[in-house]
Amino acid sequence: MTNLPPERILDARGLEPPEPLERTLEALDTLQPAERLRVLLPREPFPLYAILDRWGYRRQTEALPDGSFAVLIWRD
Amino acid sequence: MALPGLLFEQAPPISVPLRFFLVAPWFGVAAALMLALAGPDSLASRWDPSAVAATHLLTLGVLAMCMIGALMQMLPVVAGAALTRPNRLAWLIQPPLMLGVLLLAWGFTAGRTEILLAALAPLALALFAFVGVALSAMASAAAKNATITAMRLALAALALTVSLGLLAAWTYAGRTGLPLPTLADIHLGWGLLGWIGILVVGVAYQVVPMFQMTPPYPLALTRSLGWLMAGGPAAFSLGRSFELEWLTRGTTMILFAGFALFAATTLRLQRQRRRPLPDITLRFWRVAMVSLLASGAVWLLGLIAPPIAASPRQPLVLGILWLMGFAWSAVNGMLYKIVPFLVWLHLQSQRPPRGTTPNMKQVIAETATRRQALTHETALILLLAACFLRQFFYPALLVGALSFAQVGANLLSAWRCYRLHVRRLSQGVPASSP
Repeated sequence: MTNLPPERILDARGLEPPEPLERTLEALDTLQPAERLRVLLPREPFPLYAILDRWGYRRQTEALPDGSFAVLIWRD
Repeated sequence: MALPGLLFEQAPPISVPLRFFLVAPWFGVAAALMLALAGPDSLASRWDPSAVAATHLLTLGVLAMCMIGALMQMLPVVAGAALTRPNRLAWLIQPPLMLGVLLLAWGFTAGRTEILLAALAPLALALFAFVGVALSAMASAAAKNATITAMRLALAALALTVSLGLLAAWTYAGRTGLPLPTLADIHLGWGLLGWIGILVVGVAYQVVPMFQMTPPYPLALTRSLGWLMAGGPAAFSLGRSFELEWLTRGTTMILFAGFALFAATTLRLQRQRRRPLPDITLRFWRVAMVSLLASGAVWLLGLIAPPIAASPRQPLVLGILWLMGFAWSAVNGMLYKIVPFLVWLHLQSQRPPRGTTPNMKQVIAETATRRQALTHETALILLLAACFLRQFFYPALLVGALSFAQVGANLLSAWRCYRLHVRRLSQGVPASSP
Protein backbone atom coordinates (compact mmCIF):
# COMPACT_ATOMS: atom_id res chain seq x y z
CA MET A 1 0.00 0.00 0.00
CA THR A 2 1.31 3.43 -0.91
CA ASN A 3 0.49 6.47 1.15
CA LEU A 4 -1.34 8.79 -1.22
CA PRO A 5 -1.84 12.35 -0.03
CA PRO A 6 -5.34 13.10 1.29
CA GLU A 7 -7.76 14.02 -1.45
CA ARG A 8 -10.77 16.31 -1.32
CA ILE A 9 -13.53 15.86 -3.87
CA LEU A 10 -15.61 18.70 -5.30
CA ASP A 11 -18.50 17.76 -7.57
CA ALA A 12 -19.27 20.88 -9.60
CA ARG A 13 -21.31 19.17 -12.30
CA GLY A 14 -24.79 20.59 -12.72
CA LEU A 15 -23.84 24.10 -11.63
CA GLU A 16 -24.33 27.22 -13.70
CA PRO A 17 -21.11 28.82 -15.03
CA PRO A 18 -19.04 30.31 -13.58
CA GLU A 19 -20.01 28.53 -10.33
CA PRO A 20 -17.88 25.44 -11.03
CA LEU A 21 -14.85 27.70 -11.44
CA GLU A 22 -15.87 29.83 -8.45
CA ARG A 23 -16.22 26.79 -6.18
CA THR A 24 -12.92 25.36 -7.37
CA LEU A 25 -11.06 28.58 -6.60
CA GLU A 26 -12.75 28.75 -3.18
CA ALA A 27 -11.67 25.18 -2.46
CA LEU A 28 -8.09 26.01 -3.46
CA ASP A 29 -8.05 28.82 -0.90
CA THR A 30 -8.48 26.29 1.90
CA LEU A 31 -6.43 23.46 0.40
CA GLN A 32 -3.72 22.26 2.80
CA PRO A 33 -0.18 21.95 1.38
CA ALA A 34 -0.24 18.14 1.46
CA GLU A 35 -3.81 17.90 0.21
CA ARG A 36 -5.01 17.28 -3.36
CA LEU A 37 -8.28 18.46 -4.83
CA ARG A 38 -10.27 16.39 -7.32
CA VAL A 39 -12.88 18.49 -9.15
CA LEU A 40 -15.63 16.90 -11.22
CA LEU A 41 -16.70 19.22 -14.02
CA PRO A 42 -19.24 19.06 -16.83
CA ARG A 43 -16.67 20.08 -19.48
CA GLU A 44 -12.95 20.58 -19.94
CA PRO A 45 -12.09 23.76 -18.00
CA PHE A 46 -9.60 25.61 -20.19
CA PRO A 47 -10.03 28.90 -18.21
CA LEU A 48 -9.28 27.02 -14.96
CA TYR A 49 -6.04 25.66 -16.46
CA ALA A 50 -4.89 29.16 -17.21
CA ILE A 51 -5.50 30.25 -13.62
CA LEU A 52 -3.91 27.12 -12.12
CA ASP A 53 -0.81 27.56 -14.26
CA ARG A 54 -0.59 31.17 -13.25
CA TRP A 55 -0.97 30.41 -9.56
CA GLY A 56 1.62 27.62 -9.71
CA TYR A 57 -0.57 24.54 -9.20
CA ARG A 58 -0.02 21.17 -10.88
CA ARG A 59 -2.96 19.47 -12.58
CA GLN A 60 -3.98 16.27 -14.26
CA THR A 61 -7.17 15.85 -16.27
CA GLU A 62 -9.10 12.69 -16.90
CA ALA A 63 -12.01 12.46 -19.35
CA LEU A 64 -14.75 10.35 -17.76
CA PRO A 65 -16.92 7.94 -19.76
CA ASP A 66 -20.07 10.04 -19.19
CA GLY A 67 -18.50 13.02 -20.99
CA SER A 68 -17.56 14.92 -17.84
CA PHE A 69 -14.02 15.61 -16.65
CA ALA A 70 -12.09 15.04 -13.42
CA VAL A 71 -9.25 17.43 -12.70
CA LEU A 72 -6.77 16.58 -9.97
CA ILE A 73 -5.03 19.65 -8.54
CA TRP A 74 -2.06 19.81 -6.17
CA ARG A 75 1.06 21.73 -5.30
CA ASP A 76 4.56 20.21 -5.38
CA MET B 1 6.39 23.52 -12.47
CA ALA B 2 4.62 24.78 -15.57
CA LEU B 3 5.57 27.97 -17.38
CA PRO B 4 2.84 30.26 -16.04
CA GLY B 5 3.28 33.21 -18.39
CA LEU B 6 3.36 31.13 -21.50
CA LEU B 7 0.33 29.05 -20.64
CA PHE B 8 -1.76 31.92 -19.41
CA GLU B 9 -1.52 33.32 -22.90
CA GLN B 10 -3.92 30.55 -23.87
CA ALA B 11 -6.56 33.08 -22.85
CA PRO B 12 -5.94 36.44 -24.53
CA PRO B 13 -5.81 39.66 -22.45
CA ILE B 14 -9.31 41.01 -21.72
CA SER B 15 -8.64 44.03 -23.94
CA VAL B 16 -8.48 41.79 -27.04
CA PRO B 17 -12.12 40.63 -27.19
CA LEU B 18 -13.47 43.73 -25.42
CA ARG B 19 -12.17 46.23 -27.97
CA PHE B 20 -14.28 44.46 -30.60
CA PHE B 21 -17.38 44.34 -28.38
CA LEU B 22 -17.10 47.96 -27.25
CA VAL B 23 -17.11 49.46 -30.75
CA ALA B 24 -19.60 47.09 -32.42
CA PRO B 25 -22.91 48.59 -31.15
CA TRP B 26 -21.93 52.04 -32.43
CA PHE B 27 -21.90 50.72 -36.00
CA GLY B 28 -25.56 49.85 -35.38
CA VAL B 29 -26.20 53.45 -34.34
CA ALA B 30 -24.39 54.55 -37.51
CA ALA B 31 -26.58 52.26 -39.66
CA ALA B 32 -29.75 53.77 -38.18
CA LEU B 33 -28.44 57.31 -38.62
CA MET B 34 -27.48 56.65 -42.22
CA LEU B 35 -30.90 55.22 -43.09
CA ALA B 36 -32.58 58.17 -41.37
CA LEU B 37 -30.55 60.59 -43.51
CA ALA B 38 -31.44 58.64 -46.66
CA GLY B 39 -35.16 58.77 -45.85
CA PRO B 40 -38.03 56.24 -45.96
CA ASP B 41 -37.38 55.28 -49.61
CA SER B 42 -34.23 53.47 -48.52
CA LEU B 43 -36.43 50.64 -47.25
CA ALA B 44 -38.26 50.33 -50.57
CA SER B 45 -35.92 47.69 -52.00
CA ARG B 46 -32.99 45.52 -50.97
CA TRP B 47 -31.01 47.03 -53.89
CA ASP B 48 -31.27 50.59 -52.53
CA PRO B 49 -27.64 51.74 -51.96
CA SER B 50 -28.48 53.01 -48.45
CA ALA B 51 -30.09 49.68 -47.56
CA VAL B 52 -26.99 47.87 -48.85
CA ALA B 53 -24.74 50.23 -46.87
CA ALA B 54 -26.81 49.77 -43.68
CA THR B 55 -26.75 45.99 -44.17
CA HIS B 56 -22.93 46.03 -44.30
CA LEU B 57 -22.68 48.29 -41.27
CA LEU B 58 -24.73 45.63 -39.46
CA THR B 59 -23.11 42.48 -40.89
CA LEU B 60 -19.50 43.67 -40.77
CA GLY B 61 -19.49 46.52 -38.26
CA VAL B 62 -21.78 44.94 -35.67
CA LEU B 63 -22.02 41.20 -36.22
CA ALA B 64 -18.62 40.26 -37.67
CA MET B 65 -16.97 42.65 -35.17
CA CYS B 66 -18.63 40.83 -32.23
CA MET B 67 -18.14 37.40 -33.73
CA ILE B 68 -14.44 37.98 -34.35
CA GLY B 69 -14.01 39.28 -30.79
CA ALA B 70 -15.93 36.31 -29.42
CA LEU B 71 -14.00 33.80 -31.53
CA MET B 72 -10.68 35.28 -30.43
CA GLN B 73 -11.84 34.54 -26.90
CA MET B 74 -13.59 31.24 -27.57
CA LEU B 75 -10.96 29.52 -29.72
CA PRO B 76 -8.48 29.25 -26.85
CA VAL B 77 -11.15 28.66 -24.21
CA VAL B 78 -13.50 26.21 -25.91
CA ALA B 79 -11.26 24.65 -28.51
CA GLY B 80 -7.94 24.86 -26.67
CA ALA B 81 -6.55 26.51 -29.81
CA ALA B 82 -4.13 29.21 -28.72
CA LEU B 83 -3.77 32.30 -30.88
CA THR B 84 -0.22 33.56 -31.11
CA ARG B 85 0.21 37.22 -30.17
CA PRO B 86 -3.51 37.96 -29.80
CA ASN B 87 -2.83 41.62 -29.07
CA ARG B 88 -0.94 42.18 -32.30
CA LEU B 89 -3.55 40.19 -34.17
CA ALA B 90 -6.33 42.42 -32.81
CA TRP B 91 -4.41 45.44 -34.10
CA LEU B 92 -4.02 43.81 -37.48
CA ILE B 93 -7.73 43.07 -37.76
CA GLN B 94 -9.78 45.74 -36.02
CA PRO B 95 -8.56 49.08 -37.45
CA PRO B 96 -8.73 47.92 -41.11
CA LEU B 97 -12.12 46.31 -40.49
CA MET B 98 -13.50 49.55 -39.06
CA LEU B 99 -11.97 51.64 -41.82
CA GLY B 100 -13.17 49.24 -44.53
CA VAL B 101 -16.77 49.13 -43.28
CA LEU B 102 -17.01 52.92 -43.05
CA LEU B 103 -15.54 53.38 -46.54
CA LEU B 104 -17.87 50.73 -47.94
CA ALA B 105 -20.96 52.39 -46.42
CA TRP B 106 -19.80 55.80 -47.61
CA GLY B 107 -19.06 54.49 -51.12
CA PHE B 108 -22.51 52.93 -51.43
CA THR B 109 -24.55 55.87 -50.08
CA ALA B 110 -22.58 58.52 -51.96
CA GLY B 111 -22.59 56.40 -55.13
CA ARG B 112 -18.81 56.82 -55.41
CA THR B 113 -17.21 53.68 -56.76
CA GLU B 114 -13.64 54.83 -56.08
CA ILE B 115 -14.44 54.98 -52.35
CA LEU B 116 -16.21 51.62 -52.55
CA LEU B 117 -13.13 50.09 -54.17
CA ALA B 118 -10.85 51.73 -51.61
CA ALA B 119 -12.77 49.84 -48.91
CA LEU B 120 -11.87 46.47 -50.38
CA ALA B 121 -8.18 46.27 -49.46
CA PRO B 122 -8.62 46.96 -45.70
CA LEU B 123 -11.65 44.64 -45.55
CA ALA B 124 -9.83 41.84 -47.35
CA LEU B 125 -6.78 42.29 -45.12
CA ALA B 126 -8.78 42.21 -41.87
CA LEU B 127 -11.10 39.35 -42.74
CA PHE B 128 -8.67 37.06 -44.57
CA ALA B 129 -6.08 37.58 -41.84
CA PHE B 130 -8.66 36.60 -39.25
CA VAL B 131 -9.85 33.51 -41.13
CA GLY B 132 -6.26 32.39 -41.80
CA VAL B 133 -5.13 32.78 -38.22
CA ALA B 134 -8.27 31.20 -36.76
CA LEU B 135 -8.19 28.18 -39.07
CA SER B 136 -4.50 27.57 -38.48
CA ALA B 137 -5.02 27.83 -34.71
CA MET B 138 -7.88 25.34 -34.96
CA ALA B 139 -5.74 22.90 -36.92
CA SER B 140 -3.87 22.31 -33.68
CA ALA B 141 -6.99 22.42 -31.48
CA ALA B 142 -7.00 19.98 -28.60
CA ALA B 143 -10.77 19.50 -28.51
CA LYS B 144 -12.97 17.94 -31.19
CA ASN B 145 -16.74 18.42 -31.18
CA ALA B 146 -19.68 19.70 -33.22
CA THR B 147 -18.91 23.31 -32.26
CA ILE B 148 -15.35 23.06 -33.57
CA THR B 149 -16.61 21.57 -36.84
CA ALA B 150 -19.20 24.33 -37.15
CA MET B 151 -16.59 27.02 -36.43
CA ARG B 152 -14.36 25.64 -39.20
CA LEU B 153 -17.28 25.58 -41.63
CA ALA B 154 -18.35 29.09 -40.64
CA LEU B 155 -14.83 30.42 -41.15
CA ALA B 156 -14.62 28.81 -44.59
CA ALA B 157 -18.03 30.34 -45.40
CA LEU B 158 -16.74 33.74 -44.25
CA ALA B 159 -13.73 33.47 -46.58
CA LEU B 160 -16.07 32.66 -49.47
CA THR B 161 -18.47 35.46 -48.53
CA VAL B 162 -15.60 37.96 -48.53
CA SER B 163 -14.22 36.69 -51.86
CA LEU B 164 -17.67 36.90 -53.46
CA GLY B 165 -18.22 40.32 -51.89
CA LEU B 166 -14.97 41.61 -53.40
CA LEU B 167 -16.03 40.27 -56.77
CA ALA B 168 -19.52 41.78 -56.40
CA ALA B 169 -18.02 45.18 -55.52
CA TRP B 170 -15.79 45.07 -58.62
CA THR B 171 -18.81 44.13 -60.69
CA TYR B 172 -20.86 46.93 -59.11
CA ALA B 173 -18.09 49.34 -60.08
CA GLY B 174 -18.36 48.10 -63.67
CA ARG B 175 -15.00 46.34 -63.66
CA THR B 176 -16.31 42.86 -64.60
CA GLY B 177 -19.13 41.74 -66.84
CA LEU B 178 -20.55 39.26 -64.31
CA PRO B 179 -24.28 39.24 -63.52
CA LEU B 180 -24.55 41.31 -60.32
CA PRO B 181 -27.90 39.96 -58.96
CA THR B 182 -26.66 36.36 -59.16
CA LEU B 183 -23.33 37.25 -57.61
CA ALA B 184 -25.03 39.26 -54.84
CA ASP B 185 -27.40 36.36 -54.08
CA ILE B 186 -24.57 33.84 -53.80
CA HIS B 187 -22.59 36.32 -51.68
CA LEU B 188 -25.45 36.76 -49.25
CA GLY B 189 -26.29 33.04 -49.32
CA TRP B 190 -22.82 32.25 -47.97
CA GLY B 191 -22.84 35.24 -45.62
CA LEU B 192 -26.27 34.81 -44.06
CA LEU B 193 -26.87 31.08 -44.22
CA GLY B 194 -23.22 30.02 -44.13
CA TRP B 195 -21.11 32.28 -41.95
CA ILE B 196 -23.81 33.73 -39.65
CA GLY B 197 -26.18 30.76 -39.60
CA ILE B 198 -23.58 28.05 -39.05
CA LEU B 199 -21.68 30.07 -36.46
CA VAL B 200 -24.73 30.86 -34.33
CA VAL B 201 -25.88 27.23 -34.51
CA GLY B 202 -22.41 25.89 -33.71
CA VAL B 203 -21.92 28.26 -30.80
CA ALA B 204 -25.41 27.40 -29.52
CA TYR B 205 -24.38 23.73 -29.16
CA GLN B 206 -21.93 24.88 -26.50
CA VAL B 207 -23.48 27.90 -24.87
CA VAL B 208 -27.15 26.93 -24.62
CA PRO B 209 -26.50 23.79 -22.52
CA MET B 210 -23.66 25.53 -20.67
CA PHE B 211 -25.24 28.83 -19.69
CA GLN B 212 -28.92 28.01 -19.81
CA MET B 213 -28.49 24.68 -18.02
CA THR B 214 -30.40 22.65 -20.59
CA PRO B 215 -29.84 19.06 -21.68
CA PRO B 216 -27.38 18.79 -24.60
CA TYR B 217 -28.54 19.00 -28.22
CA PRO B 218 -29.39 15.53 -29.59
CA LEU B 219 -26.39 14.04 -31.40
CA ALA B 220 -28.54 13.05 -34.39
CA LEU B 221 -29.49 16.71 -34.86
CA THR B 222 -25.98 18.14 -34.60
CA ARG B 223 -24.64 15.48 -37.02
CA SER B 224 -27.32 15.90 -39.67
CA LEU B 225 -27.28 19.71 -39.41
CA GLY B 226 -23.50 19.65 -39.87
CA TRP B 227 -23.86 17.90 -43.23
CA LEU B 228 -26.77 20.09 -44.25
CA MET B 229 -24.95 23.31 -43.44
CA ALA B 230 -21.80 22.25 -45.22
CA GLY B 231 -23.64 21.20 -48.36
CA GLY B 232 -26.55 23.63 -48.32
CA PRO B 233 -24.88 26.93 -49.27
CA ALA B 234 -22.74 25.07 -51.85
CA ALA B 235 -25.81 23.55 -53.54
CA PHE B 236 -27.57 26.93 -53.37
CA SER B 237 -24.62 28.58 -55.14
CA LEU B 238 -24.59 25.95 -57.87
CA GLY B 239 -28.34 26.31 -58.38
CA ARG B 240 -28.09 30.09 -58.54
CA SER B 241 -25.01 30.12 -60.80
CA PHE B 242 -26.44 27.75 -63.39
CA GLU B 243 -30.02 28.99 -63.00
CA LEU B 244 -31.24 25.61 -61.84
CA GLU B 245 -34.41 26.83 -60.14
CA TRP B 246 -35.29 23.41 -58.70
CA LEU B 247 -31.88 23.14 -57.00
CA THR B 248 -31.99 26.68 -55.60
CA ARG B 249 -35.53 26.26 -54.28
CA GLY B 250 -35.00 22.73 -53.02
CA THR B 251 -31.81 23.66 -51.18
CA THR B 252 -33.28 26.77 -49.57
CA MET B 253 -36.32 24.79 -48.44
CA ILE B 254 -34.15 22.09 -46.86
CA LEU B 255 -31.88 24.71 -45.30
CA PHE B 256 -34.78 26.66 -43.80
CA ALA B 257 -36.27 23.36 -42.56
CA GLY B 258 -32.91 22.57 -40.93
CA PHE B 259 -32.72 25.97 -39.26
CA ALA B 260 -36.35 25.68 -38.15
CA LEU B 261 -35.61 22.28 -36.61
CA PHE B 262 -32.66 23.84 -34.79
CA ALA B 263 -34.83 26.74 -33.54
CA ALA B 264 -37.61 24.40 -32.37
CA THR B 265 -35.09 22.14 -30.62
CA THR B 266 -33.47 25.12 -28.88
CA LEU B 267 -36.85 26.38 -27.64
CA ARG B 268 -37.70 22.85 -26.42
CA LEU B 269 -34.35 22.46 -24.62
CA GLN B 270 -34.82 25.87 -23.00
CA ARG B 271 -38.12 24.69 -21.53
CA GLN B 272 -36.26 21.74 -19.97
CA ARG B 273 -33.59 23.77 -18.22
CA ARG B 274 -32.65 22.67 -14.76
CA ARG B 275 -32.88 26.10 -13.13
CA PRO B 276 -35.92 27.91 -14.47
CA LEU B 277 -34.88 31.37 -13.22
CA PRO B 278 -35.37 34.49 -15.34
CA ASP B 279 -32.27 35.11 -17.43
CA ILE B 280 -31.57 37.95 -19.84
CA THR B 281 -29.59 35.88 -22.35
CA LEU B 282 -32.39 33.33 -22.47
CA ARG B 283 -34.85 36.11 -23.30
CA PHE B 284 -32.68 37.29 -26.22
CA TRP B 285 -32.22 33.73 -27.45
CA ARG B 286 -35.95 33.15 -27.46
CA VAL B 287 -36.41 36.24 -29.64
CA ALA B 288 -33.63 34.88 -31.89
CA MET B 289 -35.27 31.47 -32.26
CA VAL B 290 -38.75 32.89 -32.86
CA SER B 291 -37.26 35.20 -35.53
CA LEU B 292 -35.52 32.23 -37.13
CA LEU B 293 -38.82 30.33 -37.27
CA ALA B 294 -40.59 33.43 -38.62
CA SER B 295 -38.01 33.89 -41.38
CA GLY B 296 -38.57 30.27 -42.43
CA ALA B 297 -42.32 30.92 -42.52
CA VAL B 298 -41.89 34.08 -44.62
CA TRP B 299 -39.68 32.17 -47.06
CA LEU B 300 -42.19 29.34 -47.29
CA LEU B 301 -45.03 31.81 -47.87
CA GLY B 302 -43.08 33.17 -50.83
CA LEU B 303 -42.89 29.68 -52.31
CA ILE B 304 -46.62 29.08 -51.91
CA ALA B 305 -47.76 32.55 -52.95
CA PRO B 306 -45.73 33.95 -55.89
CA PRO B 307 -46.96 37.56 -55.32
CA ILE B 308 -45.23 37.50 -51.94
CA ALA B 309 -41.97 36.27 -53.48
CA ALA B 310 -42.24 38.95 -56.16
CA SER B 311 -42.76 41.73 -53.61
CA PRO B 312 -39.67 43.85 -52.85
CA ARG B 313 -40.77 43.71 -49.19
CA GLN B 314 -40.14 39.99 -48.80
CA PRO B 315 -36.31 40.19 -48.92
CA LEU B 316 -36.42 43.19 -46.54
CA VAL B 317 -38.60 41.35 -44.02
CA LEU B 318 -36.34 38.30 -44.35
CA GLY B 319 -33.24 40.44 -43.92
CA ILE B 320 -34.59 42.15 -40.81
CA LEU B 321 -35.75 38.85 -39.30
CA TRP B 322 -32.44 37.13 -40.06
CA LEU B 323 -30.00 39.90 -39.16
CA MET B 324 -31.72 41.87 -36.41
CA GLY B 325 -34.11 39.18 -35.14
CA PHE B 326 -32.02 36.04 -35.31
CA ALA B 327 -28.31 36.93 -35.50
CA TRP B 328 -28.18 40.17 -33.51
CA SER B 329 -30.57 38.97 -30.78
CA ALA B 330 -28.38 35.90 -30.24
CA VAL B 331 -25.17 37.95 -30.22
CA ASN B 332 -26.69 40.73 -28.08
CA GLY B 333 -27.80 38.13 -25.53
CA MET B 334 -24.45 36.36 -25.56
CA LEU B 335 -22.57 39.61 -24.95
CA TYR B 336 -24.35 39.82 -21.58
CA LYS B 337 -22.80 36.45 -20.66
CA ILE B 338 -19.40 36.76 -22.34
CA VAL B 339 -18.46 40.25 -21.14
CA PRO B 340 -19.40 39.79 -17.44
CA PHE B 341 -17.69 36.39 -17.52
CA LEU B 342 -14.49 37.89 -18.91
CA VAL B 343 -14.49 40.69 -16.33
CA TRP B 344 -15.06 38.19 -13.54
CA LEU B 345 -12.46 35.73 -14.88
CA HIS B 346 -9.73 38.30 -15.37
CA LEU B 347 -10.33 39.75 -11.90
CA GLN B 348 -10.24 36.25 -10.40
CA SER B 349 -6.96 35.44 -12.10
CA GLN B 350 -5.38 38.20 -9.97
CA ARG B 351 -6.37 36.21 -6.89
CA PRO B 352 -8.32 38.90 -5.05
CA PRO B 353 -9.27 38.41 -1.39
CA ARG B 354 -12.68 36.72 -1.17
CA GLY B 355 -15.69 39.02 -1.53
CA THR B 356 -13.73 42.00 -2.83
CA THR B 357 -14.63 41.65 -6.51
CA PRO B 358 -18.08 41.54 -8.11
CA ASN B 359 -19.68 38.29 -9.11
CA MET B 360 -20.77 37.78 -12.70
CA LYS B 361 -24.29 39.10 -12.16
CA GLN B 362 -23.01 42.37 -10.67
CA VAL B 363 -20.80 43.42 -13.60
CA ILE B 364 -23.65 44.92 -15.67
CA ALA B 365 -26.79 46.11 -13.86
CA GLU B 366 -29.69 43.75 -14.50
CA THR B 367 -32.18 46.60 -14.78
CA ALA B 368 -30.11 48.09 -17.62
CA THR B 369 -29.99 44.84 -19.58
CA ARG B 370 -33.72 44.26 -19.10
CA ARG B 371 -34.46 47.78 -20.30
CA GLN B 372 -32.32 47.22 -23.38
CA ALA B 373 -34.03 43.89 -24.14
CA LEU B 374 -37.36 45.69 -24.21
CA THR B 375 -35.96 48.42 -26.49
CA HIS B 376 -34.53 45.78 -28.80
CA GLU B 377 -37.81 43.87 -29.03
CA THR B 378 -39.70 47.11 -29.72
CA ALA B 379 -37.19 48.08 -32.41
CA LEU B 380 -37.57 44.72 -34.11
CA ILE B 381 -41.36 45.01 -34.27
CA LEU B 382 -41.17 48.62 -35.49
CA LEU B 383 -38.60 47.72 -38.18
CA LEU B 384 -40.86 44.96 -39.50
CA ALA B 385 -43.79 47.38 -39.48
CA ALA B 386 -41.68 49.97 -41.34
CA CYS B 387 -41.33 47.53 -44.26
CA PHE B 388 -45.07 48.03 -44.84
CA LEU B 389 -45.95 51.42 -43.38
CA ARG B 390 -43.78 54.47 -43.96
CA GLN B 391 -44.91 56.21 -40.77
CA PHE B 392 -42.98 53.59 -38.74
CA PHE B 393 -39.70 54.34 -40.51
CA TYR B 394 -38.32 57.06 -38.22
CA PRO B 395 -39.67 55.61 -34.95
CA ALA B 396 -38.11 52.24 -35.89
CA LEU B 397 -34.71 53.82 -36.54
CA LEU B 398 -34.88 55.93 -33.39
CA VAL B 399 -35.69 52.95 -31.17
CA GLY B 400 -33.16 50.79 -33.04
CA ALA B 401 -30.41 53.36 -32.51
CA LEU B 402 -31.40 53.69 -28.85
CA SER B 403 -31.14 49.93 -28.39
CA PHE B 404 -27.63 49.81 -29.89
CA ALA B 405 -26.57 52.83 -27.79
CA GLN B 406 -27.88 51.08 -24.67
CA VAL B 407 -25.77 48.00 -25.49
CA GLY B 408 -22.78 50.29 -25.99
CA ALA B 409 -23.37 51.95 -22.62
CA ASN B 410 -23.91 48.62 -20.84
CA LEU B 411 -20.68 47.15 -22.20
CA LEU B 412 -18.83 50.31 -21.29
CA SER B 413 -20.10 50.01 -17.71
CA ALA B 414 -18.62 46.48 -17.59
CA TRP B 415 -15.25 47.80 -18.76
CA ARG B 416 -15.39 50.58 -16.15
CA CYS B 417 -16.20 48.02 -13.47
CA TYR B 418 -13.14 46.00 -14.51
CA ARG B 419 -10.83 49.03 -14.50
CA LEU B 420 -12.07 50.15 -11.10
CA HIS B 421 -11.41 46.77 -9.48
CA VAL B 422 -8.03 46.32 -11.15
CA ARG B 423 -7.01 49.70 -9.77
CA ARG B 424 -8.23 48.83 -6.30
CA LEU B 425 -6.46 45.47 -6.38
CA SER B 426 -3.20 47.00 -7.53
CA GLN B 427 -3.44 49.61 -4.75
CA GLY B 428 -4.28 46.89 -2.24
CA VAL B 429 -7.46 48.75 -1.28
CA PRO B 430 -10.11 46.39 -0.01
CA ALA B 431 -13.20 47.15 -2.08
CA SER B 432 -16.74 46.18 -1.37
CA SER B 433 -18.34 44.54 -4.38
CA PRO B 434 -19.40 45.43 -6.95
